[in-house]
Amino acid sequence: MLNPAIARRVLDHALSQGADFADLFIERQLRQNLSTLLDDVENVTSGLEFGIGIRLVYGYQVLYGYTNQASAEALCKVIDQLAAKDRRDPVTTAVAFDFRAPSRHYSAQIPLSQDAALDAKIDYLRRADRAARTRSEQIVRTMGVVMQREQRIEVFNSEGLHTQDTRHYCRAMITALASDGQQQASGREDVGGLVGWEVHQQSAPEKMGEEAQRQALVNLGARPCPSGHMPVVIGNGFGGVIFHEACGHLLETTAVAKKASVFHDKMGEMIAHPSVSAVDDGTIDRAWGSIAIDDEGMETQRTQLIQNGKLTGFLVDRIGSEQTGYARTGSGRRESYRYAPASRMRNTFIEAGKDDFDDMIASIDRGIYAARMGGGSVQPGTGEFNFAVTEGYYVENGKVQYPVKAATLISTGPKVLREISMVGSDLALACGMCGSVSGAVPTTVGQPALKVNDILVGGNA
Amino acid sequence: MPRPNYIDTLLQQVTDAGATADVLIDEQTSLSLKARDGQLEEQAVSDTRLIGLRLIKDQKVGLAFSEATDADAISHLVEQALLNARFAKADKHQRILDNPTELHSDDALLCPPSDLGDAERIELALQLERACLEYPSIKSLPYNGVSESIRTRQLYSTGGLSAQTRQRVNALYAYALAERDETTAMAFKGQVARTGGQLRLNPLVHDACTEAERMLTGSPVKSGYYSVIFERDAQQSLFDVFSLCLSGKSAMEGVNPWRDKVGQSVASTLLTLTDQPLLKEGFGYQLFDAEGIACQPTNIITEGRLESLLHNSLTANYFNLTTTGHAQRSPKSALGVGAHQLHIAPGKASHSDLTSGDYLELTDLQGTHSGANALSGEFSFGASGYLCRNGERLQPVRGITVAGNFYQMLNRIEAVGDEVLWDWQCGDLMPLLRFGDVVISG
Repeated sequence: MLNPAIARRVLDHALSQGADFADLFIERQLRQNLSTLLDDVENVTSGLEFGIGIRLVYGYQVLYGYTNQASAEALCKVIDQLAAKDRRDPVTTAVAFDFRAPSRHYSAQIPLSQDAALDAKIDYLRRADRAARTRSEQIVRTMGVVMQREQRIEVFNSEGLHTQDTRHYCRAMITALASDGQQQASGREDVGGLVGWEVHQQSAPEKMGEEAQRQALVNLGARPCPSGHMPVVIGNGFGGVIFHEACGHLLETTAVAKKASVFHDKMGEMIAHPSVSAVDDGTIDRAWGSIAIDDEGMETQRTQLIQNGKLTGFLVDRIGSEQTGYARTGSGRRESYRYAPASRMRNTFIEAGKDDFDDMIASIDRGIYAARMGGGSVQPGTGEFNFAVTEGYYVENGKVQYPVKAATLISTGPKVLREISMVGSDLALACGMCGSVSGAVPTTVGQPALKVNDILVGGNA
Repeated sequence: MPRPNYIDTLLQQVTDAGATADVLIDEQTSLSLKARDGQLEEQAVSDTRLIGLRLIKDQKVGLAFSEATDADAISHLVEQALLNARFAKADKHQRILDNPTELHSDDALLCPPSDLGDAERIELALQLERACLEYPSIKSLPYNGVSESIRTRQLYSTGGLSAQTRQRVNALYAYALAERDETTAMAFKGQVARTGGQLRLNPLVHDACTEAERMLTGSPVKSGYYSVIFERDAQQSLFDVFSLCLSGKSAMEGVNPWRDKVGQSVASTLLTLTDQPLLKEGFGYQLFDAEGIACQPTNIITEGRLESLLHNSLTANYFNLTTTGHAQRSPKSALGVGAHQLHIAPGKASHSDLTSGDYLELTDLQGTHSGANALSGEFSFGASGYLCRNGERLQPVRGITVAGNFYQMLNRIEAVGDEVLWDWQCGDLMPLLRFGDVVISG
């Protein structure tokens, strides 16, 4: 996308300002969003994003700028603005570019640049809508969305790296809204991956619609949730968002290097129950959070974060590696050229254990089964987190009793890792978007069902 | 601010295609700085532009956007919008307004000259960290920053509209991390100002650091029903989470719980809520909305009675009303509705009246984006704050949840303070409210 001669000139200029390292991130992205309301098309939006991010590194200091213009003059002007206060005599010289294609390549069968596939997408969402409204008059509304994008990236750096990749993302969602005339409740199902529109082959629209309907009707009949400290069984799949938020973010060198993570000095120590092993794996074939190369141009890896309760790995980007001494893991990610890269998660999950789901429920006298989790947040410095339960059930005397609504789970990352006592065998993964210092990036979360012995449940019963 | 030379070409191509359209152009230049360990850790500059086209042909709306403005990109933009419109449903209520108006915001008001040089700004970033680390328990500022940005918005249409606004925003923020005896606590404070010289470092440092240090000794309170006062930023975020109830668009889509409540009581008679887009002190100040309608104050709730929802021309046409000037849109998004600057009228409760007896003051809510159901009003958030009696903070509180139903809570307002406060981003202006019988779990 960027003429290597221009890249050469710009990086030379960066080093002439005394930078120890410099890189260019060029991004050209096609986007298309389709939304439906019931069986009507609400909006179709499409567009082109293009920009270049320039990073200059002086020791641990990062200078970052970006522009929509691709001329050498415009890029050198950004460098001049950035380096105005840090200019020093050159200590490094640029190395000749050596183009390296990623060893993995995730192509798409139906890429956005070749086929907008609008008719097929509209048909898919209409079928999901029909399925969601079939056999229930309480489903009063559905909202469907298909989001597809095709992101081409190119990276040049002053160490001679030149590489590029094309990433295809597609995700479809259906939300069903149920009403009994007094109360309203919703359910949602989605499918996504590092693929083109062929994502629709992963799940039939009727299955999506039926699942959204089921959740909405369960929630419509839900009662207020009891509150207080109690054991909780967290369902598989998106339940892994708790590990992602409460622990995963604390293992990114973005937090570790600043000692803003409670785990920054715990490498090699037991930080979790021995039944817990966790992984962040960027190499899963066409998974939503997979990448061939990270946004610093490095081939991504599989990183064992926790092995049988012991902390074994951090997620490390270039700057994080410089600051902590840990080897890079191909985890430098960013939302777009507007952000400098930072260490970020990819596909993060707790590995399967051997416990039986029914045994977990049977072991609870009074608690909650959080079948589906929603979003949440965490304070990296303290590890305090909160998560919404989007489909939950009250459990008493070892049996699931009735659905509950408006429940939130509160604890801290270190505490919940120690409180996990049973890990099931039904590992499943789910798509999510993770927001952090370098913007929102696609990430997969996952886990088998697991039991946490003690967690604060917020409810309004 | 000159009219970009590609606008006339673009609008002509739209007209030649038998369509109408408006074009939104958002531009931003910015500088942001972060400090760590006494040095500048990160410095970022940006200069970007995004164009969004909303085109209507045969009553069908097509949207397209681009970050390029060369001739090919402009032609592609129109082609994309026309293609997208072909697939949309016919929408007889949405149209490009015939509005041959020129609107320009006042640069002297919204975009005064910069009064800090880069060196002074860098020193401010370093000073922010230095000052925080002087507090004995503050170990670091994991996230902090000093920034300045100039945001420009231009809106042109085939209906003759030409509207331009530009504003300068300076910001200062810090997350202070306190640590003592293996206990940690973090607190956030931020500040905005039109010019860098108006930023006030010392109060921000004091508030962030003392809050973090106090929270080191925080503990849960016993579960039960409490009188609660949300601190100004927590209260603002609570109203923001449930702003769907004010939207004419959500009413049109059938998901607004107040869609049939106009003219009826929805809150305590102590509550009077308006939207005040022309309050100049606020950073939500808007001269015109995303359709180029000149903004005016709007009465939303008067003494508990719902007077009006917020509308753009689309939702107003749908309900056979007049737009209230609340169209919202980014270059990438469809036409929506949103408040500009919410304002709750001050009440009669003095500070001592408001804070009489026992109550919980909640200074921080966690998970507001995920722990709320705007359709039903139900919420459950993590929270921290103080257990108070007669205005005095008895003990810091953390590790609790606050839960309830926002729409029902509005009927349980016990008192409205007599002093109004801007939230830290100067987006909304509200007095403190005291709510009764709020569920707290500890």
